[in-house]
Amino acid sequence: MAEDLVLDTAIRDWVLIPLSVVMVLIGILRYFVSKLMRSSPTPDAKMVKEGQVVIRARNLKAGANFIPPKSFRARRFYFSNEENGLLHVPKDQAQNPQAQMFSDPNMATDMMKKNLSMIIPQTLTFAWVNFFFSGFVAAKIPFPLTQRFRSMLQNGIDLSTVDVSYVSSRSWYFLNLFGLRGLFSLILGDENAIDDTQRMMQMGGFGFDASKSLSAEKDGLDIIQHEWALPRFELRAESVLRKLVQ
Amino acid sequence: MGSSEKRSKDVMSDIPTFSAENLQNNLKVIQNSRTFLSIIAGVLAGIIGFTGLTGFVFYFVVMLITSVGLMAKAGFSADLYFDSWNRVLFDGFLGGLMSFVLFWTFAYDLVHIF
Repeated sequence: MAEDLVLDTAIRDWVLIPLSVVMVLIGILRYFVSKLMRSSPTPDAKMVKEGQVVIRARNLKAGANFIPPKSFRARRFYFSNEENGLLHVPKDQAQNPQAQMFSDPNMATDMMKKNLSMIIPQTLTFAWVNFFFSGFVAAKIPFPLTQRFRSMLQNGIDLSTVDVSYVSSRSWYFLNLFGLRGLFSLILGDENAIDDTQRMMQMGGFGFDASKSLSAEKDGLDIIQHEWALPRFELRAESVLRKLVQ
Repeated sequence: MGSSEKRSKDVMSDIPTFSAENLQNNLKVIQNSRTFLSIIAGVLAGIIGFTGLTGFVFYFVVMLITSVGLMAKAGFSADLYFDSWNRVLFDGFLGGLMSFVLFWTFAYDLVHIF
């Protein structure tokens, strides 16, 4: 372990604190900018209908055991029969989500806006940190780490003799980027976190594919094992009443 | 919260009866309190000047206290509010760790390094 470095207090006043404060403020700014830029999507009648059907099917699946077998079967037939069931999607009608996205330019611009509002501030802050604070040892983490973390924590300093627990300013930026997520979810509410995950989903899945989720719901309904809960509710009521009487 | 539904576990244990929305809300409350406490714990650890393993032990202790507190809040019957005990004990544990380390480092640097 190398002997302790002496860090100038000016580094604390002009690098460490400003960097952290700026990261927090930029996070808040990003939240409000993306909130302003978010255009309320004009609902397409077909999409809304399919979404509602999926929700209804899900409700049926969740509450299946609370209705008699006969009514469950009737409802399941209503949803998933092969001729005109609500969840049944004819083969030719199932369209490619990619093609659907190109036919609807609104969706593409909306997604681009979301991605831009995420990427632009990050690149800007990174460039800012790089330009002003490159090469500082800005902080020291209070626990020892192995050499493997050198590239992660001392990004921008090419000295192999400095103890690994010293953190360069660029790496401090990254630490802030990941560690402040919790703080944001507290001060901005959960909307922030939900937004991020939604963005991930959109990047991965490239939009919402209605026909796919419809058929997935259909499969889920088909394999469900129905077991009516009412007969056993009498037992339960009995035990509850017994407890009350005691 | 379906408080009465869970009373007689012997009869009803195989059919889960709870409101998904309420469950979600409860989990959110846990998550928030854990994040908040991990930030506070980080600042505390930094100011006191814990280093190395001591700091992490401090984090575990704080999280344990949080768990006990949450359980006390739930009246020591987690079945009423959550689908399993593990939720109370472990939810948001790792997410809080990152915030803890960040604020620990920050406070420690401000107070002890410079």
